Amino acid sequence: MTARARADIAGLAAATSLLVVVARWAHGGGLRELDWSSAGRLTGLLSADLLLLQVFSLARIPLVERAFGQDRLARWHRWTGFASFHLLVLHIALISIGYAVPVHTNVIRQLWDLIVTYPGMLLAAAAAVLLTMVVVTSVRAARRRMSFESWHLLHLYAYLGIGLALPHQLWTGADFVSSPAARAYWWTLYLAAAGAVLVFRVGLPVVRNLRHRLQVEAVVPESPGVTSVYLRGRRLDRLPVRAGQFFLWRFLDGPGWSRANPYSLSAPPASGLLRITVKDLGDGSSRASRLRPGTRVLVEGPYGRFTGEDYRGGPVAMFACGVGVTPFLSLLGDLPYRPGEATLVYRARSSGDLAFRAELEWYAANRGVRILPMLGSRGSSWLPSQYAGRADIRALVPHINRHHVYICGPDDWSAAVRRDALAAGVPADRVHHESFAW
Amino acid sequence: MRRITLWLLSTVAALVLLFSYRTSTMGAGGDTAAVSPAQPGTSGSGQSGDAPTDNDAQTSQGTTVDGSVAQTRWGPVQVSITVSGKKITEITVLASPDGNHRDVEINAYALPILRQEALRAQSADIQSVSGATVTSDGYKESLQAAIDRAF
Repeated sequence: MTARARADIAGLAAATSLLVVVARWAHGGGLRELDWSSAGRLTGLLSADLLLLQVFSLARIPLVERAFGQDRLARWHRWTGFASFHLLVLHIALISIGYAVPVHTNVIRQLWDLIVTYPGMLLAAAAAVLLTMVVVTSVRAARRRMSFESWHLLHLYAYLGIGLALPHQLWTGADFVSSPAARAYWWTLYLAAAGAVLVFRVGLPVVRNLRHRLQVEAVVPESPGVTSVYLRGRRLDRLPVRAGQFFLWRFLDGPGWSRANPYSLSAPPASGLLRITVKDLGDGSSRASRLRPGTRVLVEGPYGRFTGEDYRGGPVAMFACGVGVTPFLSLLGDLPYRPGEATLVYRARSSGDLAFRAELEWYAANRGVRILPMLGSRGSSWLPSQYAGRADIRALVPHINRHHVYICGPDDWSAAVRRDALAAGVPADRVHHESFAW
Repeated sequence: MRRITLWLLSTVAALVLLFSYRTSTMGAGGDTAAVSPAQPGTSGSGQSGDAPTDNDAQTSQGTTVDGSVAQTRWGPVQVSITVSGKKITEITVLASPDGNHRDVEINAYALPILRQEALRAQSADIQSVSGATVTSDGYKESLQAAIDRAF
């Protein structure tokens, strides 16, 4: 199954679920008796549905991961998260108004009355508070002021919020109690979401870590600020990882271990050892250079679609910027290109910043890879400043439109390369790109 | 104490408190408040199959006839009418949704309107009260059944 087919299936499932919710609401008389309460019910149902879709999209379900990639899923999560929160606020307001209008009470009194006297409503109010907290702490301005650990801990309360909102839907939700089909739909969705989280976010990583028991084997400096970490473990041949993929890594070397960092494999995974390469960016990444052999390591993954899955041979152009070269060191060993078919454009500030020179020279000599280091300071395009107006992607890689294109680097840089590649006629489904800055 | 432990403990404590509130577990028994059974005294009366005369009561003001029990989404609705000559002189509500506070509030204003409308129209062909559509529908259904029996 291709990535596109998987994306179609997952996208269709999400759209169907929203459609089912609206259809059930309309069928239950929501449209015929359209008023404040009925609009309030619809917004509540859509909000709940979007919340559950978010759980699915971030549950690390392999089919979903491979269809969309975590970078795209994370963007959607942000969007659907805010959308479902706005629907939630509307739901609360509309229902309060809808319940207050016929009995001529004041809306605030009605809301209080709803919370303290209706089945499951106190729990629902607590759920709304938790979800509000999650959203507020994820607004960019607030997010920047918090440590990742605090933000992440608070974010986990979204699961609790989703759970606490369930009873009021079961006990007072008109569209929930009215028909067995609606009940079956929502129960299936809730149980499947809980199951997906337990299996793919908890169960699978636990099983993998118990089976492979990764630990640090060696730590090797590669270039200024860039360190490779070699890891060994048991039965690594049974770890279903492809070149170009990444794991979320936790090094059990002391306080701060709970923060996971995403690093790609920087060597083909078939060699019995795993290797990652980390650039010191001043955050958790500075820990890598101080790791000691024997340190236990926990991983989640493998994740990522930056692989040769869709590549069946033919010309391939790779664009790396800085430490973004790491996944190419595994892809170069994995992709079935013929001598002369592969080009690696490697962007770095100076020749001293080029990492893995010996390995790249080995690929040049033994697999006929054309290596093009592009050195210099940052210019207005993705190329170094001295190339401005004098070289473009077509000149660097002749017949780029016939190539499979892989791009890895900082977001802005990758986006610029991608634009040029598409403008030069590379079909969009042949441009592979993964963002690591989320 | 580590901060994470403090967080966990407070979360558990908050959950225990939340769930100790009476509305937090009231729906768990399966018999939800929204579908409470008909009030005592109305059960059995006016059910289908009963001959109208079984429940008729002759009073000085006229004959009292019970309507059917209309099962609505929020609970049963049943009315009885008092007929004097060819005229409905009184409509009494025997059962109406009372599963929660809101039903009671809505019925408190909707039922008098329905009674007044029906007495004026002398039929069940009356407008529903906005905001109380479900109860209105049940009211009209039960009222129609009572009229069918009485005339």
